[in-house]
Amino acid sequence: MSDDDRILMCPENVREGIELGPIFCVITAEQVEAFARATGADNPLYTAQSPAGVQIAPPTMRLLDYALLISKHFRGGSGGVHAKHRNQFFAPMRVGQSVRTDGRITKTWRKRGKFYFELEYESRDVESDELLMRQAITAVLLVEGRMQ
Amino acid sequence: MSVATFESGREFESRSYLLDAAAAHAYGAAVEHPARRTVQPNIHDDNAAAKRAGFPAPIAAGEHTYALAANFMVNLFGIDFLRGGSLEASMIKPVFFGDRLVVHARVTDSDSSGVAMEMWVENDRHVRVLVGSARLARNPR
Repeated sequence: MSDDDRILMCPENVREGIELGPIFCVITAEQVEAFARATGADNPLYTAQSPAGVQIAPPTMRLLDYALLISKHFRGGSGGVHAKHRNQFFAPMRVGQSVRTDGRITKTWRKRGKFYFELEYESRDVESDELLMRQAITAVLLVEGRMQ
Repeated sequence: MSVATFESGREFESRSYLLDAAAAHAYGAAVEHPARRTVQPNIHDDNAAAKRAGFPAPIAAGEHTYALAANFMVNLFGIDFLRGGSLEASMIKPVFFGDRLVVHARVTDSDSSGVAMEMWVENDRHVRVLVGSARLARNPR
């Protein structure tokens, strides 16, 4: 979906079952090191001298892919106030690896006047299709900066 | 993974992490690397946006705090956590810039199938800002 035909992100348009993506990225040493520094992570796994033999991405380095999935499909927002998150890890993301991520809006509901949505997303190695990670975010939708 | 080191009831605590504006900026730059979106003024960097959303001041991104918890699990379990671990958490209180955060974990179950933990993140006022759980199967891939 191009920027021009994206739909407005609002409660009426955020519906269960909407498929988002795919989006693609390459895991770079630059991002791994920047993310590790920013989060105070000094685990050697995240360095070029990784004891695993290959430089590994910190576990949530690609968490924000949910926002890329949303902004590829919707305009006017890229999420909201983060309420919950969950991850299942199947294999580490490695420097140099090309990763594909697909997502789906799995649930929407209203609680205490706020509009919530849950977005599940899954990342796989582009070449082997190996499953790397499943994630889900629950957020309160913000439209024009206000909770819906 | 050595399950024997994770007997039920054992507690762990991370080092303190200062989540100030500089840390938030560094985090934002790292997750948007390379930049692929046009990010508008938002609750994480703009006073007016924060107030519109009902917060007295900009708040740290919930995923920034969650990242500290996830990193801590890798420190505890090693790379195995990325081959069979799971983590889930609720962000229950806002984190304001200048808060010092510590991740806590307590083993709730440890047996032949794996290790389960409750975990939480506290600020320097001993308020829990994130609560959740983590699990690692005994024989990850």
